[in-house]
Amino acid sequence: MSETPVAAVEVRNLAKHYGSVVALKSVDLIIAAGEYFVLLGPSGGGKTTLLRTIGGFNRPTHGQVLLHGQDVGHLPPNHRSTSMVFQSYALFPHMTVMGNVGYGLKIAGMPKSEIRDKSAAALELVGLSGLAERKPHQLSGGQQQRVQLARAMVLDRDILLLDEPLAALDAQLRKDMCLELKHLQEKVGITFIHVTHNQEEAMTVADRIALIANGELVEYGAARDIYRAPKREFTASFVGENNLLKGVVSAAGNDNVTVEAGGGAVEVVNAGTDPSKGDAVALSIRSELVSMVAADAALEPPAGCSLSGTYLESVYLGLTTSHRIALPSGDEVVARVLSDNDSAPPQQGATVTLHWPKDAMRLHVN
Amino acid sequence: MVAGAGCITPVTVEKVSGTAGSVSGARPSVAGAILGRWVFRLPIIFMILFFALPMALTFVFSVFERTMFWMEPGFTFFAYQNFVTSARLENFLSSMGYSSIAVLVSFVLGFPIAVFLRKSVPQVAQHRVVLLFILPFMVSEIIRVFALRPVLQRNGLVNSTLMELGLIDEPITALIYTHTGVVIGEVMSFLPFIVFSGFLAMEAVPKYIFEVCDDLGANTYRRFVDIIVPLAAPGIFAGCVFIFVNGIGVALIPNILGGPGAVNAGLIATQAITALDFPLAMAVSAIMMTTLMVLLYIGHKLFDLTKILSPVNQ
Amino acid sequence: MLDEYANPWLHRLKWCYLLLIVVTLMSPVFYVIYISFNENGFGAAEYVFTIDWYFLIFSDSQMLNALKWTAALAFSTMVLAVPLALLAAKFYKKTEYKVMTVFLLLAPLFVAADILGSAMLVFFKNLNGVFTWLGEILGTTMMDSWFDLGFSTALIGLILYTIPYSFVVILITMGRYREEQTEAAMACGASAWRAFWDVEFPQIRAGVFSACSFTVILCFNEYTRTSLLKGGFDTFTTVLISQMLNEGMSEQSYAMSSFMSFIAIAIIGGIIIYTLIRAESLARIARAKAEPIMST
Repeated sequence: MSETPVAAVEVRNLAKHYGSVVALKSVDLIIAAGEYFVLLGPSGGGKTTLLRTIGGFNRPTHGQVLLHGQDVGHLPPNHRSTSMVFQSYALFPHMTVMGNVGYGLKIAGMPKSEIRDKSAAALELVGLSGLAERKPHQLSGGQQQRVQLARAMVLDRDILLLDEPLAALDAQLRKDMCLELKHLQEKVGITFIHVTHNQEEAMTVADRIALIANGELVEYGAARDIYRAPKREFTASFVGENNLLKGVVSAAGNDNVTVEAGGGAVEVVNAGTDPSKGDAVALSIRSELVSMVAADAALEPPAGCSLSGTYLESVYLGLTTSHRIALPSGDEVVARVLSDNDSAPPQQGATVTLHWPKDAMRLHVN
Repeated sequence: MVAGAGCITPVTVEKVSGTAGSVSGARPSVAGAILGRWVFRLPIIFMILFFALPMALTFVFSVFERTMFWMEPGFTFFAYQNFVTSARLENFLSSMGYSSIAVLVSFVLGFPIAVFLRKSVPQVAQHRVVLLFILPFMVSEIIRVFALRPVLQRNGLVNSTLMELGLIDEPITALIYTHTGVVIGEVMSFLPFIVFSGFLAMEAVPKYIFEVCDDLGANTYRRFVDIIVPLAAPGIFAGCVFIFVNGIGVALIPNILGGPGAVNAGLIATQAITALDFPLAMAVSAIMMTTLMVLLYIGHKLFDLTKILSPVNQ
Repeated sequence: MLDEYANPWLHRLKWCYLLLIVVTLMSPVFYVIYISFNENGFGAAEYVFTIDWYFLIFSDSQMLNALKWTAALAFSTMVLAVPLALLAAKFYKKTEYKVMTVFLLLAPLFVAADILGSAMLVFFKNLNGVFTWLGEILGTTMMDSWFDLGFSTALIGLILYTIPYSFVVILITMGRYREEQTEAAMACGASAWRAFWDVEFPQIRAGVFSACSFTVILCFNEYTRTSLLKGGFDTFTTVLISQMLNEGMSEQSYAMSSFMSFIAIAIIGGIIIYTLIRAESLARIARAKAEPIMST
């Protein structure tokens, strides 16, 4: 893949401190023009700080923000080529929907008729054509967020920042709006940078996801890669439903690494992290890739790809059912199956064997 | 970390040229930024210069030497000596006593109104009722105090009404030109304040508290003593301190409604000014400032007065 | 409502108590107004309605002159104190030193009028001395009158007196404003000033206007600080009080007191009625527009 000539957003060594509190420590990030980029992470992790710093609402403690290759660190938000959609409460309550959407154009000094046409077009784009004369308090939460979208998009800026835009909406509406956001971005082709703590939301919309926690950029990559093959332990714990096991390396080869974990020896593929014998490491595996069979079942899993444990209980979740199993080490593992494929669960306290395809287990070295 | 490798192929963006203008837009001027920062500090500077400084300087001026018409720099405790060894100290202390009575009466009469407002009046109506209490406050204090004369006099409104109703045969003369008159005047003047501060203080008592109390079976008294007072304490304290210091500081009330011996700090200060004894006036002011600071310090240690601000600190 | 099980009569009784207190607090004022319309004045056996006493005030040239000074002072105070309070409230929202800011702005409430007035009087006299001395050194007499007791010192006294009220009123109105809206306006390209003027100000306007009216009323009614700091001229209250002190309560002073009370009652009553009407019309609009709203 070719390197983008000029990235839409480039962040270099960016840090933000509030007094003694470090909200963001030295982050580097490049976001290509036209991509839907999601900043995902737990609340208080620094993702909103990063977004607001890109938008010019926070002044960085050190580091640079480049928009289209130009350093904009000294510019306030109104002089940047970004526009922003806020979590909520950000519509001007004393103006109509039309007044809200046209406000930026009015500031830019555009003639009235043109403002009306462009605003109407933007409202059309977000599907609110009939509501131009309403006041914000007469709109539902979803409608309000659409007005915000229209207000931001009407400006024809090429980078749109979205700060938890769907957080105040209920679950079903959030799902629908996610898809709409994605389609909207594909239609207009500008760069979207979207902050959320909801991984489903992130997966739905993102071309690429950056995981941010404790003020650090933990990992980033295509949404699919983040889910299927998280490189860092934190990613595994935050994205998807992963089982995590702590262990110690007992043998390290070029191809395989053996880890003492969960009361047995687990063999994993050496994916280039090259740990040495005696290192404390973590293992992770997605719960849907763990299979559970009764201990006496006639099954010969490949060496290093199984553990035995004590069956605890099953939790029915609709589409899937989770089985909880305690390992001799005290760790707990969840094996998740489609409910329709589930057979009768073992007795509580029965000994069971867990097994998995070798390449499903991932090794995380800190 | 470098991201280039993972980028998806970018969509062509035609709008870049359109926004370039806004990016290269005027850089905010340095002078504007400095002005922008300092203009918000103006009120603070004003208050330090014309409020904090004059009040702090009372301590300095109070030890100056008195001259015939003015004062000159020096270091003497004559003014304080004068204050302590004359009847002034006694008057000052007794005015504190009567002021405390006024605080108590105002609290008993006024605070339940604040609780009632918060608890049982719909939110939209609350502010209108508060405005009703601002009304007497907006009529000049001096007019209200003067107007108490025709009300409380021997042949005034109260006495004539009571006599017409046949409740009394003789006019009550203790209502005015006595310490009672002063307390009445103080309560009438400052009662709205306990309603305001109580109203703000009750913001710290969420409405569900009342429901929880009902649920747990706490009676009105227990609810008041165990829940409302501790939660609203900072605001109640602020209201009480206001009434107390104004009770000993406003000269008008004892001057117009008080009898012999009804002299408070404010009256001592203004009398000293009239007598051109400026160091004495400054000493009284300094004593008042000290009293206020000590009260606020005690209140802060007991209740953490910064909590009063929580409603506006969202 | 919370009190669905409460005794409705008890509730009404509490309302009665509340109104009784308000009426009691206002009773001296009402009584004075009542007397001011009596041709025979206070304590007379016979009540004859008249408005002559009011004509008497406005035919008095000293009174009219005082009224002019009072109006000038009130207007200047409003123009200076309300913007200062607004700036202070904005500063308060941003600063880390919240306790210090609030203490400085509210402390004048806790210093009684006579004490503050005396301290300011002595401060200004000294300050004036310092500036005159400085002027002598610099060879100019320009600074001699800066802090001479007069309009400017009375003005400063009144600003100190009114600023806490404006500050509190504006701060409370600002409490309901969401800072995100300013950010949204800036994201739309507005400068900080335009964001304030187009978006924030319309939402705190009620608070600012209330602060203005309170300031004017308070200035018209203030006596102690003004009389200590005014120097040569007279204001409405100082004339009134000196008449009362010299001649006792005359019929004319009843009329003057009533006149001032009318202003306050009219303004506060106006605000209450305005909010009532506004609330009613808003409710009507809301009802009219309560057509079903789509769920998305």
